[in-house]
This record gives sequence, C-alpha cells and structure tokens, in this order.
Amino acid sequence: MKRLKLSDILITIVVALVFGIIYKIWGPVYNIFKPFGLHIGDVIYGMWFIAGTVAVLLLRKPGVALLAETAAASGEFLVGSEYGLSVLLYGIVQGLGTELLFALFGYKRYTAFVAALGGIAAAVGSLVMDVAYGYVMDLALWNLLLLVGARLLGGFLIAGILAYYLVEALEKTGVTSLVRPASDKDYKALDQ
Amino acid sequence: MQWTLQYEETWLHRLNPAFKLIFFLSLFLILLFVHNPNVISNLTLVPLLLVLFATGHRRKVIVLLLIPFLILFFSSASSMMFFGQGTTTWWKWGIIHITEESFFRGLHIGFRALNFALLGLLFALTTRPVFLFYSLIQQLKVPPRFAYSFMAAVRILPVMVEEFQQLRAALLIRGVKKKKGLQRVTQSIMLYAVPLLSQSIRRAHRIAVAMEAKQFNNKERTYYYKQTYSKVDIYFVLYIMAGFGLAYWVGHTFPYFGITDVRN
Repeated sequence: MKRLKLSDILITIVVALVFGIIYKIWGPVYNIFKPFGLHIGDVIYGMWFIAGTVAVLLLRKPGVALLAETAAASGEFLVGSEYGLSVLLYGIVQGLGTELLFALFGYKRYTAFVAALGGIAAAVGSLVMDVAYGYVMDLALWNLLLLVGARLLGGFLIAGILAYYLVEALEKTGVTSLVRPASDKDYKALDQ
Repeated sequence: MQWTLQYEETWLHRLNPAFKLIFFLSLFLILLFVHNPNVISNLTLVPLLLVLFATGHRRKVIVLLLIPFLILFFSSASSMMFFGQGTTTWWKWGIIHITEESFFRGLHIGFRALNFALLGLLFALTTRPVFLFYSLIQQLKVPPRFAYSFMAAVRILPVMVEEFQQLRAALLIRGVKKKKGLQRVTQSIMLYAVPLLSQSIRRAHRIAVAMEAKQFNNKERTYYYKQTYSKVDIYFVLYIMAGFGLAYWVGHTFPYFGITDVRN
C-alpha cells in the first residue's frame, strides 16, 4: 500500500482541524439537544465522525480516516473541549472504526453505500467507548436501544451520506485531482 | 485558542508536554476503573484546585470556561439517573424511573465527565501547542512530517476564519437570502463549507510542495526548541499521587453516599 506523502498528511490534518473546530462547537449544541436523557439528540452525534469519512473519501488512501479523526479530536481538545481528554480516545476509536471498514473493502470502493457503512462503523466505535465510560449497558433496555439506534442513524446520515455529498461537491471544484493517487484509468487515458 | 489569551506562566507550563499528555491519558484510564462515587467526587477536587489557582490565567476567563461544565455534568448524568436499571425505586413518573442505583450511577458518570473535562482544560490552558508538537517529536519519536503538518495546519486556521468573514460579507453584498429548514443546511454547505474546504485543501497542498522544495524530509534534523524533562514533572506526579491517595482515603473513611460501587 502507498505510504502517506507530506502533502497527504498536511491536507488530511488541515481538513481535520476544520472539523475539529466544528466538533468543539458541536459540544454545546449536543448538550442542548439531549436535556432529558432520551437520546433523540444522539442523531446529531454523527457529526463527530464526519472527519474520518470525508478525509478518506477525499484522499482515498489507507490510514487517512484514522489520522483525520484523531487529528480532528486533538484539534477539538486543544481548543479546549468540555469533554476534555476523553475526546482524544473517542476520536482514535471512532477513526479506527471508519478505517477498518474502508480496509474491509480493500480501499477500492468509495461509494455512498460504503461511506454510510463507514459512518456506522465509527458510531459502533463510539458505543464501545460508551460502554467503558458511561456504563451504558446499565440503562433500561428500551433506553439503551434508543441510544444505539439514534447513534447509528446519526453515523449513517451525517458521517455517511452528508460526508459523501460534501466530498462530491468538493470534486466539482477540482481539488480532488490534487490529492488523489492516479488511477489505472488515468494511465490508460495516457496510452491512447 | 489559548495563544490569544493573556496569562502568566506557572510551574504547570514548564511540565514536559509529551509527558503531560501521556500522564493525563493514563489518569483517564485509571479513572475508568474507579467505581466508587465517594472517591470520584473527592478526586474532582484534585484537578479543580489546579485549574482555579495554578494555570496563571485570569479568574474571569477560568470562570467563563467552567460554566459549560455545569451543563455537561447534568447532561452526562441525566440519562443514567432517569432511565438506568436499579431495584430500589425512589420516584416513578411515566417513563422516568429513578432508582437509588441509577441515581448514584448517574452522579458517578457526571463526576467522571467533570474529572475528564477539568484535566482536559488544565492541559489546554497550560500547554503551548508548538511545544507539544516539538516534544512529541523529541520525546515520543513521532515522525516530524506528522508534527510539522499539525503546526502548519494550526497556522492556516486564522486564515480560514478571515476567509469565512470575507465570504459572509460577499454574500451579504450580493443579497443572498437564507433559506429555511433542511434547505438551509445544503445552502450553507454549498456557500460556506465547499469554498472554505477547497481553498484550504489547495493551500495545504501548496504548503506541502513548498516544504518539500525546501528539503523537508525524513532525514536527521535539528530543532529550534529543545524539550526536556525537569524536576517539575516529578512535583506534578507527586501532587497527583498525593491527591489521589487522599481522595481514596477520605472516600473510604468518610463516605457521603451509601453506595460504594455503582456497578450492579
């Protein structure tokens, strides 16, 4: 597999830091949305996974999703997130979720479907952290299911579908030609 | 971003940044294994005292930063309090079911969130990002291309803020109307997110090319800042150890709550 070049890393981190700022702003938004523990607000939790999918859809290289999500979390942390250190570990685990899913497809498929699965995989990562951190297994069953459902739906909608369309819009600006590795199709075009 | 705030340097600023990061992360892991609400409520005082008195920032700033923590405490604790499992019912109303067990578990999660938040704030208020990245390279052997990318990216952020304001002004002059509802989301993505992101991707690419043209590579390099360990690191570890020890002792000898383990 291709090693990440300096430009890949730099672009990933710049994009990730932008999302890091959004992650920070998202904290108070989320806290307002979930005042009485009903977890409906967890649908918007998906925003916290978006850096990973956006970056990997943009650059289409291994390691990018994990790097982006970790960098976004560090950015959120350095700006002074009210979740403190926990965001760093959550970020790493969520990024791993997305990364593993794209690895499962051999880093070859970058469709809306795979992106949506990537968002869901990040949501699963965050739930794994919640089991250790928030004792979520001790919630009443219906409440736990509501949490899991809302979280996965959020990952699907925001980190999956929204991320996919954001990258598609970015493709139209032509920036992706700067960042993506040349594909076989490009080489064939040269032969003609 | 703390480099825009005025503050006096204290001993906490002189801690080795990479060491501080690793030490704080291990505290995080230790806190995950504290299940006694008496202990964790005492533990909250350990970082709180430092945040209040030792960061060198102005009192006003500290208080302002602490306000969201109250909301955080409540929002972390609430779902477990209202909907957690337990046998000793205190209050039941509709779907809300507060039991003794779930109440204390919720309280525990709230205190845990507070602990993480305070440690995080302490770190953010007393660490200069540039020193952190140098320290990550020098003490933890992080490859320089990751650390320098980070530092470059941090410098791009203010440019993006400027660009955002410019965009907003341009759209205002052209009389672009805000749409309502879900269309508002797609509109702001097309008008703000896409141009801001694409411009910063181009900028990041240019910077990377420029850095490589100036021979930025993986070979041996020298550093402008040298990060080392010092006695302050030991003092800090001693303070935390004493604090944790005291919190444990007080929590076990003079418990405030009847429950000593919030797990079932």
